[in-house]
Formats: sequence, structure tokens, C-alpha cells
Amino acid sequence: MNMQSKRPITAAEQGLVDSFVNRLGSLPGDQTITEIRDGYIEDIKRDGLPTRRIEAWHYTDLRSLLKTVPQDTGDTAGPVEPLVAGSNVLAVAAGQADDAVAADGIQISQYRDALSDGSARSRMAVHGADDVIGRLNGALTRDGFALDIADGVSLEKPLEIQMVQGGGQGHARFPVTIGAGAKGTFVERHVSVSDDSALVSSITDLKVGDNAEIVWVIAQERGLQDTHFGQINIELGAGATLTLFVANSGGELVRQEIHIRARGEGSELILRGVNLLGGQSHTDVTMTLDHLVPNCVSTETFRNVVFDRARGVFQGQIRVAQIAQKTDAQMACNTLLLSDDGEFSSKPELEIFADDVQCAHGATVADIDENHLFYLKSRGIGDKKARAMLVNAFIAEIVEELEDEALIEALEARFEEWLDHHG
Amino acid sequence: MPAVQETIDQVRQIDVDQYKYGFETLIEMDKAPKGLNEDIIRFISAKKDEPEWMLEWRLDAYRRWLTMEEPSWARVEYPQIDFNDIYYYAAPKNQTGPKTIDEVDPELLATYEKLGIPLREQEILAGVQESKVAVDAVFDSISVVTTFKEELAKAGVIFMSISEAIREHPELVRKYLGSVVPVTDNYYATLNSAVFTDGSFVFVPKGVRCPMELSTYFRINEKNTGQFERTLIICEDGAYVSYLEGCTAPQRDENQLHAAVVELVALDDAEIKYSTVQNWYPGDSEGKGGIYNFVTKRGDCRGANSKISWTQVETGSAITWKYPSCILRGDNSRGEFYSIAVSNGRQQIDSGTKMMHLGKNTSSRIISKGISAGRSNNTYRGQVSAHRRATNARNFTQCDSLLIGNNCGAHTVPYIEAKNATAQFEHEATTSKISEDQLFYCMQRGIPEEEAIALIVNGFVKEVIQELPMEFAVEAQKLIGISLEGSVG
Repeated sequence: MNMQSKRPITAAEQGLVDSFVNRLGSLPGDQTITEIRDGYIEDIKRDGLPTRRIEAWHYTDLRSLLKTVPQDTGDTAGPVEPLVAGSNVLAVAAGQADDAVAADGIQISQYRDALSDGSARSRMAVHGADDVIGRLNGALTRDGFALDIADGVSLEKPLEIQMVQGGGQGHARFPVTIGAGAKGTFVERHVSVSDDSALVSSITDLKVGDNAEIVWVIAQERGLQDTHFGQINIELGAGATLTLFVANSGGELVRQEIHIRARGEGSELILRGVNLLGGQSHTDVTMTLDHLVPNCVSTETFRNVVFDRARGVFQGQIRVAQIAQKTDAQMACNTLLLSDDGEFSSKPELEIFADDVQCAHGATVADIDENHLFYLKSRGIGDKKARAMLVNAFIAEIVEELEDEALIEALEARFEEWLDHHG
Repeated sequence: MPAVQETIDQVRQIDVDQYKYGFETLIEMDKAPKGLNEDIIRFISAKKDEPEWMLEWRLDAYRRWLTMEEPSWARVEYPQIDFNDIYYYAAPKNQTGPKTIDEVDPELLATYEKLGIPLREQEILAGVQESKVAVDAVFDSISVVTTFKEELAKAGVIFMSISEAIREHPELVRKYLGSVVPVTDNYYATLNSAVFTDGSFVFVPKGVRCPMELSTYFRINEKNTGQFERTLIICEDGAYVSYLEGCTAPQRDENQLHAAVVELVALDDAEIKYSTVQNWYPGDSEGKGGIYNFVTKRGDCRGANSKISWTQVETGSAITWKYPSCILRGDNSRGEFYSIAVSNGRQQIDSGTKMMHLGKNTSSRIISKGISAGRSNNTYRGQVSAHRRATNARNFTQCDSLLIGNNCGAHTVPYIEAKNATAQFEHEATTSKISEDQLFYCMQRGIPEEEAIALIVNGFVKEVIQELPMEFAVEAQKLIGISLEGSVG
């Protein structure tokens, strides 16, 4: 009784297959890479896009949400100003990486070269049967950057990796290796430069070396017509500290996956997220965190604000392996649901196999607290202003945990602009 | 922080090899042929002397079941069940339905006595117990006896086996059966609808407060049988009932299937309190044998201001797959779920609740404690949802788990879905948030936090637990007091 085989192919699925066919011959890759690409597109053809019956996509029924796939429009997007002034910028514009070769102590190569000579093949593994982003990106990636930061290097300026898109499609991959003891701030930024609809996939593989101290910001600011599929795969070395900040304030259909493996003892992960959702958008942040070794600490806090008819999803899964004793993992997902037509669904999961650990998860959904509002209004602040202040405070609490003033200011400016527009 | 010694000792006392109810009653049984087909369903229906509509209902369910697939989303693993290798009907010879106590086979009475369930009314009255508990005793596929029927009837309460109710009150059964758990709700519920054999029926009319506790005691005895019970409880406007179910089974090497459906209906201002002490045979320490417990329980707060409260103490079964739920349809209705699930040996528990907020000003509370030991896996899976119209819906959830030893697993899978801006949902895994006020009240009187929490949880369930007529009431009480110090979230 194979129900799958009788399933009609949707317009979007056909669109993805067509995109692949249209790109045949122009996608970089040797024989092996080409075979891998073929395999992935076959998987998509066979299984289709996931529905809510696939647990990992429970709240994001991609088969019905992804209606059409934009075809290439001869996009001529170019780099934009960085989020934090003075950052070094590496840009992938319209799917094509610029020709930078080194910056500030970093080895840089173009991912297209790794595809062409076949060395990218080890990068192309997917997470499992439900990893559609991995397959889509694997089949269609044209370029990206591979970064290598040597041991002990300390970056003076933030490095911004931009993925700029007008209309059409862009697919890129960013393998990043951080050497032992290295330090730096990275901004992974996704921006649109036109109102044409775009479909973008981006995968970052971030390997953080022992005792490195890294701040990584993902700022997704795509256009209101855009589909964004993001994935970041992280490995944390012993004693490493990673502050990962994920901000979504754009896109029509967004899925950002975060997969983290704490592989070295004594590492610390500080994961913070802000999701500003408005219009008719659907935004899904899905995280898996594997604690594989003892004595690691992680905290995950997400703050979501929902306006209009937007729908938000947070799925967080913390898995603590049997040997990962003394793990301390705290996850929280707080949502302000400000519209009766908005929706937010969360699934903060724990899967624990070690008996001497501390894991907690909390999830709340509520409107603005009437008491807080009353407090401000009794001091002569108007309703609209008071609400805006409270929403701002709700987000600022998270943003201000970042220690870099310039970064905080840049993010807050971006959020304020968004809230002014939607609030 | 690991679990405290006291908890470890308490959990060890109820380890799988300590199972006390594993004996078998040797009694001549009347069985249907093995296997599942339309003839077996006709056979069951004929044995129960059912009206034609009931048979049609069953056959319809069976045909639908054939087109369905077994669910695989739960975190449980078991070999493929051969649904044709099971006896769907087994009853003690010479007993096709409940009788008066004097006609019941003494062997059966002895069985229930051994389980700590006195069935003779005068014995119950002679006992030290102050309050009376009416019992419906279900043995494999049939109800053996229902006590205090006459006394309850005087108050207008109908309490009898569902088979009897189908014959005697067909209009009520027809109106409510399948109205909370639709025939095709899920694989096991559909199977149950096709082959259910017995269970209890309770009807409390308008304005009546049921004068005593009601309870059903389920016993699986025969080899290779499945037990498919069906319980239906209806509380009309302003009525109240407290109901308790208990269950045990003999120790056997092969697995046995238990797929029950329980439906509760609470109309305006009605309240139903449903408690379960589930102690099916859990299998041995190597995971051999034990009951597969696939149960669908759902309450419908159909009327305004109605309330349904589920309390469960789960210690048995090789596999538990069970989510007692509340549909909060009536405005101002309230749902509660209190659960203590202890897994030992190689037991697998995937249990939790669903609170569906549909009406205005509805509220729900979920308190779940999972304790895993041995090589077991214990999963809490719960869903809280607020419909677009559910203005001011409120939920508070707290689920704690505790691991004892290093070979078990504790998992939490909450689904929280809000579609209304006035909904307020809180999901907490920290023990400090049970209710700040209550906790503060206790603590400022010098009661340590851990004890205060136990006290508060105990307070929720005590009323019910104390009324338990069964020997293991003591055990249940002990379990509730188990310290969750060192809980991992």
C-alpha cells in the first residue's frame, strides 16, 4: 500500500525539478558531485515536499505552503551596506560569490571551486530522510564561501557574509572552520534588493575549534514575497564559547534550522533568537541540540512577536546522551501574540538519557500584560506608545545580552524600524 | 543532581519483578475462535444479545479499520502485532453477563478478593471503610457483577455494564456512544469500536450528585486474549460523579493487547472526576511479556461551567500509549490532568494529555510527573491548543521527569498552539512554579519546598486516592509523595 506513489506532483515540486533541469550543465561539480545532485533531486521527486505528517515539519506543511517556485529572472543584485558599519563584507549576490581571497587573517575560497574539483562531496551529506533543505541546497548550490580561521587569530572587525538576492533563486553553502582559541564576530545576513519573489537556500557548516570564542549572528531580512530556507550546522569543540543570535524579520515563508552538536567537554552555547512576524508570513525556527559529552552548558531563549495574520513556529529539541552527565541546558520560548488572527505553535522537546543533568524548558504565549500596560499608562504614556515600549523591552532583554555595543545598536535599529512599520 | 535515596527505594518496591497480581485464575472459559473477521464481530454481538444497529455500528467500524494504518509517531517500539492471533472474546463458562452476587462463580469472587476488591455488598458495609464504593467487575470480555446497583438506581444514577446498557437504555447509548471519540478517531479506537466486549456505563441525571464512588475493575485472565473495554460516562446538567478504574493481569511470557476507549460527557455545570490506577502486568525485567496498553480516553466538557478531571497513576503495562484529553467546548469549562507515571524494567510509556480550548474563558491545568528507572523509557507528550474563538483561554502545564540510573530515558514533547491573542499559556518544567502563592503559603509556615510541592500535588489527588477501595491505594499514595528532588526537567 504505497500511498506516496499515487500522490500527484505539486506545482512547486515540479518547479524545483524544472529549476534543476534548467541548470543542468551550468552547475559546478565533477562526476561525483553531479551524482549526488541527481540523487537529491530524485529524492524530492519521489517523496515530494514534506507534509505535517512528517514530525520535523509538523507545523510547516511545506507541500501546501510552498505554492510556486520563482524561476531565474536574470537577477543583477549587488552587495549592500553591512549591518554593522566598518565590517568586512563577503557577498554572494544572485547566487554568485565575489572573488575575495583573504581578509583580516582569514583564508577564503569560493565554494564553486570545491564543487568543481569534487572536494565538496564530504560537505553534502544530509541529516536524514526529512532534511529537505539539505537536499534542495545540495542539488542546486552554485556557490558560497569556504572560510578558514587559523588557530589563535582574533578578528578586529566583524565579518559579514551577505547573501543578496533580487528575484529568482539563490542557493549557497558556507563551510566555516574556526581554529583553536580564535575569536571573532560574524554576521550572516540575508537580504532582498527587489520586490520580485525569490527562493533562497543557504547552509552554513560552522566548526568551532577548542577554546574559541565566537559570536555568530544570522539576520534574515528577506522581502515579503520571498521564501527562505536556512540551515546552520554547528560543531562545538572543547571549552569553546559560541553566542548564536538568530533574528528573523522578513520573508513570506521561512524555515531556519539550527543543528548543534556539543562535541567537546566544557563548551558553552548561548543561543538567542528574535522573531518579528507580520503580514501573512509563516516563519519556522527549528532547533536540535545534541549534548554528546559531559559538562556542557547551553541556554536557548527565543522571543517572538506576532502581528497581523502571521504564523510562527518554534520547535526545539534538546537531546542529552547517556554519557553527557552534568549537562545544564535551559530552553525558553516566549511569545507575544498581538493579533487575534495570528498564530504561534511551539514544541520545546527534551530527550534525556543521563541521570545527573539539569534541563528545563519553558514556553509561554500571551498578549501584553495588562498590569505592565497600566503601569505605563498611569504615568501618562498613551496606549500605542506604551505597547510599543513593552514590545521593545521584550526584545531588548535578549538583544542586550550581546556584549558588542555596535552590534546591539545595529540590531535594535533594524528591529525598531520593523516595529514602526508593523506596530 | 541525581535522585534521592528515598525515591530510589520507593521506585524499587514497585519494580517489574515485584508484580503482585501475576496469578492466574483457573476457570473454564468460553471463547470465540481466534482471529478477527466479520463473523467474530457478529459472534460478539450475538453473545451480547445486541440490537441490529449496534452490530451495524461495529461492522462499519471494522470495515473502516481495515483501511487504516497503525500509528508510528509514539516513542514506543514493539514487534508487529498479529491481530489475527488474538481471541477477541473470552468469558467464564456459564456467565454471559453480570448476575447477582450469589450466582457468580466462587472462583471469580475469590480472584477479586485476592486482588483486594470485595464484591459482596454486606462485606463492604461490614468493613471499617466509611464510604461505599460501587464496583463493576470486568473479567476478560464480560462484566461479572455490578454492586450497589439498586441503591444507585434510587438516586437516579444508572451504573451497569455497557452490554446491559445497550439492551436496557439503547436511546442513551445511541445518543452518546462515539460522540466524543468518533469511530474513526484513531487505529485502536476504531478497532475497539468494532470488537469492544464490555466496560461500564454511567449516567447521572440532572442535578444529582452521585451518592458514592463508582469504580470498574478490569482483569485480563485468559491467555492470548485481547481486552477491548468501552466506558461511557454522562453527567447531565449540574451532576457530579467520581469514577475510578483499576486493572491487573496475570504474568505471562507473551504480550497481550488492551485497547480501550473511554468517553466522558459533561453537560452544563457538571463535573466528572476520573481516576485510573493502571497496573497491568509490565513484563519481566528482560522485557518478556506484558500488556500493550493502547488507550483512547477523552472527555467532552460540552456544557458551560463543566469540569473534567483526569488523574492517573501509571505503573503497569509493557507499553503505554494513552492521552486522556479534554475538549473544552463549553464556556468557562475546565480540564485537569494529573499524572504520575513510573516506568521500570523495559517498560515504555508514551503518555500525556490534550487540552483543546474551544469555548470562552476555558482553563486547564496539567501536572505530570514521570519517573524512569531500569531500562525504561518514559515520554510525556501533551498538546494544548487554543481555537480562534477561545477568548481568555488559560493553561498551566508542569511536567517533571526524574531518571533513576543511567540506562533509562525521560522525554518531554509538548505541543503548544495558540490561535487567540487573549490565550495565556504557560509551560513550565521547573518545580518552583507549581503555584507561587500556594508554595509561598506552605513555605512561610516552615514546610520545605520539596515537601510543599508534594503536599500540593497530594492535595489535588488525595480526595480520590483515599477513596480507592483497593489494596494498592497505599501504593498510589506513596507514589504521589515521591520526591522529585533531582528532577531533570
